Amino acid sequence: MDRDTELELVDRLRQGDADAFDAVHLAFNRPVFTFLLRLSRRRDVAEDLLEETWLRFVKHAHRLRADSRLGPWLFTVARNLHVSYQRSRALEDSATAGLMTLWPVNPQRSSPFEAAAASELERRIERALAAMSTASREVLLLVGVAGLDHADAADVCGVTPETLRQRLHRAREALSKALERDADGDAPALEGVTSCPSR
Amino acid sequence: MSEPMTGLLADLQLADPDPARSERTRTRCRARLARAQRASGTPAPGPRGRTVLLWQPLIAVLSVAYFAAAIVQALRAYAVP
Repeated sequence: MDRDTELELVDRLRQGDADAFDAVHLAFNRPVFTFLLRLSRRRDVAEDLLEETWLRFVKHAHRLRADSRLGPWLFTVARNLHVSYQRSRALEDSATAGLMTLWPVNPQRSSPFEAAAASELERRIERALAAMSTASREVLLLVGVAGLDHADAADVCGVTPETLRQRLHRAREALSKALERDADGDAPALEGVTSCPSR
Repeated sequence: MSEPMTGLLADLQLADPDPARSERTRTRCRARLARAQRASGTPAPGPRGRTVLLWQPLIAVLSVAYFAAAIVQALRAYAVP
């Protein structure tokens, strides 16, 4: 979404334009859900937090600043909701996900071999991400997957850009090491599979 | 973030939320937006506007009459025989 479109949508949202909401929902529903799913590692929790994110968004839509950035706004709310959820449920970071089976198969792979190779690599990355701490995982998801720049990601996480840069550096190293270990056949233990069927 | 790592993460696929629930949420949000828009908008002029204009002076007149009667009663009871 380019900046002009974003600003126009913000302006229309401030006036309560439901069609503008549809456009934002279409653009961000899957990215925010994917972020929440990888953070929480539970589909049912991600669905609940996604719904709450959207409800908060419309509740505050008329108070959005004219220059608001929709992506960072939504990811901030989603992240804060997840933090609240984590606190309330005292989830342990050591729990890992079985969400690989929840991921759709990419239909654009050109051959079965490439599809298998890519799929295997994705599984390894998902396993490595799932084994990381929440703080490390969220910076990788925000910068690497959602494509936020460092300043926006720092805002979302409520830290300074310098702190984010350090976290990102550590997270990237941890991910590289986890991938190397996985390639050597020493995969992180997958315990406490917590995925649940969607409602 | 290094380029290879960026590429690896950026290539990860997006997950799909439950479509039925997403649609329910979208509909609910649209309804809330519409409600908020109605609540914040200026009420349209019409019969209801005229009713408000009539009630306000009537209430003022009745209030003045009530207080005048109260004062007369008080004077009768305590001051003037």
